Amino acid sequence: MPKETVEQYIGNVTDTVSSFWHGLSITLSYLLRRPITTQYPDRTELPVRDTLPPRYRGFLEVDASICTGCQACERACPIGCIQINLEKDAANPKLRVVTQFDIDEAKCMFCGLCVEPCPTGAIQHTREFEASQRSVRNLTFRWADPENPFPVYKVVKGAEYFPRAPLGSILRARLEAKRWDAPGPEFLPPDPNAAAPKKAGPGAKAAAAKPAPAKVAEAKPAEAVQAAAQTAAPAEATAAPVAPAAPAAAQPDGGAAAAPTPPNPGDGQPA
Amino acid sequence: MEKLILRRVDHAGEEMLLNFGPQHPSTHGVINFLVDTDGEVMKKAIPDIGYLHRALEKIGESTGYPGFMPYTDRIDYVAAMFANEGYAIAVERLLKVEVPPRAQWLRAIACELCRIASHLVSTGTMASDIGATTPLVHALRERETVNDLIEALCGARLTYNYLRIGGVAFDLPEGWRDRVLKFLDHFDTMLVEWDRLITFNTIYIRRLANVAVIGKEQAIDYGLVGPNLRGSGMDWDVRRDVPYGAYPNFKFEVPIGRGKYGTVGDAFDRYYVRVLEMMESSKIVRQALESLPEGEIVAKVPRKVKPEAGEAFSRVESARGEMAYYVVSDGTEKAYRVRARTGSFTAMGIIEDISPGLMVADLVALIASIDVVAPEIDR
Ligand code: SF4
Ligand code: SF4
Repeated sequence: MPKETVEQYIGNVTDTVSSFWHGLSITLSYLLRRPITTQYPDRTELPVRDTLPPRYRGFLEVDASICTGCQACERACPIGCIQINLEKDAANPKLRVVTQFDIDEAKCMFCGLCVEPCPTGAIQHTREFEASQRSVRNLTFRWADPENPFPVYKVVKGAEYFPRAPLGSILRARLEAKRWDAPGPEFLPPDPNAAAPKKAGPGAKAAAAKPAPAKVAEAKPAEAVQAAAQTAAPAEATAAPVAPAAPAAAQPDGGAAAAPTPPNPGDGQPA
Repeated sequence: MEKLILRRVDHAGEEMLLNFGPQHPSTHGVINFLVDTDGEVMKKAIPDIGYLHRALEKIGESTGYPGFMPYTDRIDYVAAMFANEGYAIAVERLLKVEVPPRAQWLRAIACELCRIASHLVSTGTMASDIGATTPLVHALRERETVNDLIEALCGARLTYNYLRIGGVAFDLPEGWRDRVLKFLDHFDTMLVEWDRLITFNTIYIRRLANVAVIGKEQAIDYGLVGPNLRGSGMDWDVRRDVPYGAYPNFKFEVPIGRGKYGTVGDAFDRYYVRVLEMMESSKIVRQALESLPEGEIVAKVPRKVKPEAGEAFSRVESARGEMAYYVVSDGTEKAYRVRARTGSFTAMGIIEDISPGLMVADLVALIASIDVVAPEIDR
């Protein structure tokens, strides 16, 4: 590097100082402008969900009263986080009823692909996004009650309007009804894997594993979270039936607690 | 690399092995650099990648063709629109569908807004890596506005999933055009302010000029793309030279590095190319909004996307350079192979070659100036 002359050196110093003040003057000018940030959530003028654009892709909502049970949304979902089961109504064999309509919002990537093929607009994204739950299982929204299945909606030919409840109202009511730290539900129907640890672990070890599914419901929330975290690793659940007695007994909670999740097509996919 | 780790015990005196990252803010994601240093001067920096590998290309083989679109968002989360676009174009070529002009225009608008957002992050984090924290806040403020606009357009701020095979998902929302134009007016003045704030700051220039120079030949040899390649003085832009979509209808310049304050291809050139590109993007959005044709926004594509057996290749100019998709179909509903070629991956290769002799602090400038995004490297 060539040696700097004294003039160059002083020139550099003045350059630096002047450009330093130049930048700082812009920064200082922002002191006098209105801030553009707001404190979330308690200082926003409106609830944040009301300020979001209508196309916002938040939590999914299903209006069961206009769902035709066509399962187009289930097929469209690339992850497979929608699970729909239909059965014939016992009273009226011509009518089909939806016995299960679960959306695993914990897995959902809010892509909106399930909304597009729906013929009636029963499944829609809402602007709800504040729905964190301590138990990840509470994020599986059950839009059909297995005890009390809803009949499928018959589309009138040429209909252009479907009587949908105001978007977000159903979900809102549900979210408000549920505490954020509510314990996770025990899922129906029982998972076929639930029996697996009993088969694998002989005698006393199996007995240790048996009460586990029931335990989850009353388990401390922290435990429920742990158990739920293990459902996130399907390898754990699927490994249980194959594994010899020792590993199955080593973590009876892990293997068995993971079991009562709904049989989800997503587990089989490399999603 | 193993050798380097083993040699750690042999070091005597000043030499040492430094693990830079993976959880370092200036590594721009989860990347580890094994830095062999002698005091402050590096002997070598070896990037160690793969922390964010999610087998996205493999997932493309198991989801259907439309189902892979939201996954492409995750390839480059800072500029997801381009990944959408590249994949959509490749599948459209497989299906031999023609995209309606309005959809082409909407794609161009969305992509250029996305480029502005991405370059704002890139230039902002570069300034903050160098040590100037204020500009990042200014850049993120502008980016929030762009995100708001894109959110109003497609419903998400980062993982857009806006493009569909054969077109786009949504038309413009009401009043959106005016909002965009208002933002662009503001943005053009903001870029002037940005230049005064940081670009022409003497300290900043001196920190970047003549640092980590990548020559034109070398850049081509290593397969650098996009702003990194243009920063080295190579005049190449896929939008202009291999036109796709609506781009032939727009007039824009392709800024290249000219060695404004040092050598052609130094860190400052790569930075400055990005700043200039934001101006060009703003111009393109204006032109596109002005000449937006009427018509359909999505072509007629069968609900079951089942292309004939064959292969298709597409290339788009992403914010991180040329992004290419290679999709092979075996005549079923699922792709046989989906391959994405991304700019960040090749850019990582050059670090090992450029690093000898640089200061450790200049490594940060080098990483920032080639603007890598970890998920795009690993996919
Ligand atoms: S938004 Fe996407 S990921 Fe979520 S349920 Fe619908 S299709 Fe599946
Ligand atoms: S929500 Fe819509 S797409 Fe899904 S089953 Fe019901 S009607 Fe069909």
